[in-house]
Amino acid sequence: MTAENLSALALSLRVAVVATLLNAAIGIPLAYVLARRRFRGRGLLDLLVTLPLVLPPTVTGYYLIVLLGRRGWLGGPIYGLTGWSITFTWYAAVVAATIMALPLLVRTARAAIESVDRDLEKAAFTLGRSEWRTALEVTLPLARNGILAGLVLAFARALGEFGATLMLAGNIPGRTTTVPLAIYTSVQTGETGDALVLVAMLTVLSCVVLIAAARLGARAT
Amino acid sequence: MTAARLDVSIRTTLPGFTLDVAWTAGDGVAVLFGPSGAGKTLTLQCLAGLIRPERGRIVVDGRVFFDSATGTDLRPQERRVGYVFQGYALFPHLTVLDNVAFGLRDRPRAERSGRATTVIERLGLGGLEGRYPRELSGGQRQRVALARALAIDPALLLLDEPLSALDRPTRESLRDELRAVLTDWGTAAVVVTHDFTEAYRLADRIVVYREGRVIQSAPRSELLWQPASESVARIMGTRNVLHGTVLKATPDRIQLRWRGQTLEAVNSPSRAYLPAPSSPIAFFIRPEYVRLIRKDRGAPDPNHHMNLMSGTVVSQTDFGATWTLAIRLDEPGEPAQGAYDLEVEVPRLVHEILELDRDRRWQLSIHRGSIHVLPA
Repeated sequence: MTAENLSALALSLRVAVVATLLNAAIGIPLAYVLARRRFRGRGLLDLLVTLPLVLPPTVTGYYLIVLLGRRGWLGGPIYGLTGWSITFTWYAAVVAATIMALPLLVRTARAAIESVDRDLEKAAFTLGRSEWRTALEVTLPLARNGILAGLVLAFARALGEFGATLMLAGNIPGRTTTVPLAIYTSVQTGETGDALVLVAMLTVLSCVVLIAAARLGARAT
Repeated sequence: MTAARLDVSIRTTLPGFTLDVAWTAGDGVAVLFGPSGAGKTLTLQCLAGLIRPERGRIVVDGRVFFDSATGTDLRPQERRVGYVFQGYALFPHLTVLDNVAFGLRDRPRAERSGRATTVIERLGLGGLEGRYPRELSGGQRQRVALARALAIDPALLLLDEPLSALDRPTRESLRDELRAVLTDWGTAAVVVTHDFTEAYRLADRIVVYREGRVIQSAPRSELLWQPASESVARIMGTRNVLHGTVLKATPDRIQLRWRGQTLEAVNSPSRAYLPAPSSPIAFFIRPEYVRLIRKDRGAPDPNHHMNLMSGTVVSQTDFGATWTLAIRLDEPGEPAQGAYDLEVEVPRLVHEILELDRDRRWQLSIHRGSIHVLPA
């Protein structure tokens, strides 16, 4: 394997792992809140989280630029203050992968949390547990397999993210070129041989992920 | 009556349903009895603090759990109420020991397992500490749920249809066991059931629910013999609920006309009911309190037998230990209950001795104390 391909693979794994960790940190509480709380703006939150699942990834990427780019709503002030922008860094690839993977985790985890018998939570309340402790000791452990399945899917999505990553992080060899981008570049430049190895690796990985998710899903019920 | 340990008055509205109840209970077991959808479980959830009623007041042993007037509303965590859910709601990922010890988290470790083990032993669950709920029988699960609720030394124990998840033989033996446990622990308890036998076996006091309201609250024997109204009698599954016309009512007797007969009933000494003559009146006759008179005894003595009538057995049903006879009176006109006027229940032995299989025509007598008038 070429040095470029190796570095693309290393970057992809790093991005996917960090994005999955971020997904766990944001997505599990989000799934819990959407499953168990009724509040104003719940529908809107649900819509925002789910949107990247149906929007073309380039559109999601465009919104991320509007938000985080050098002249973006959030990115602009940051650039003005520090002279630094997230665009065209590997952090941008992480952000893109996280946002694109989030709906997969949230939807799977939410369904798992909703399937936990509410009487179990009520029982925990009468036995002195706060809602927070009940979530940690009862709800989340019982939804564990569904949450793990969601994380596996999120990891796979993060690993394969292309469109939004290209928009926000670009395709800079050695810095932001992840495996899907490397495959695209290889095909564009006619170096299909190089790409084949990466294609095979992503295919095998995806199969493993699907099988793992299916097994976890089966145990969850 | 002892001072009320439990004073409940709540009103809350759900889409298409209003719960508006008030009742009190002393020591022992109060059973909320009534058809499903009457608001019994909703009441339990309000008692536990899982649902907040719109208005009302809940006081347990002098502690105010809820009072809409002062804005008091203790969280379920603060109420110390043991709740046994209908499906038991045992934590499937925890062992029996961890389930029972779940409510003891704030206690020191040693005390915690000591207390859990004591409760487990006392409920006859010794040896099952390491099992998971899925590895237990229905009866064992019920006892684990009870143990978990009792472990926290609750101020009040709530049980929602505690026996409905069990098959019939288990249910009957556990019913008496549950009664023994409740008496043994002496914790004030509220039990929800829609089964009258269960209610009667478990209760000291029965609170009858119907469509979100309490239609009677009374000690269980009073309820059995003096239902407050026809609808209470019907919810209890009382048989031979009949309608007649008042002839004369005095504080100790009521004369009434029914199916061409003049019947005499005892008026309730504790709450005499004095309807006006010729007003309609509902009453019931327990099937096991109707006497069949043998013909070979000669003419019945009117001083001994009262409310005499004659009729024909139109059908009979074998219930094993007893037989139920459907009797149609020798009177023209429509029978009171479809094809027959009265249901009569006789023990199997009596059925054999009287040769009821061969003889269809009988004289009946009903003691005036066995005709129970139902206030309108």
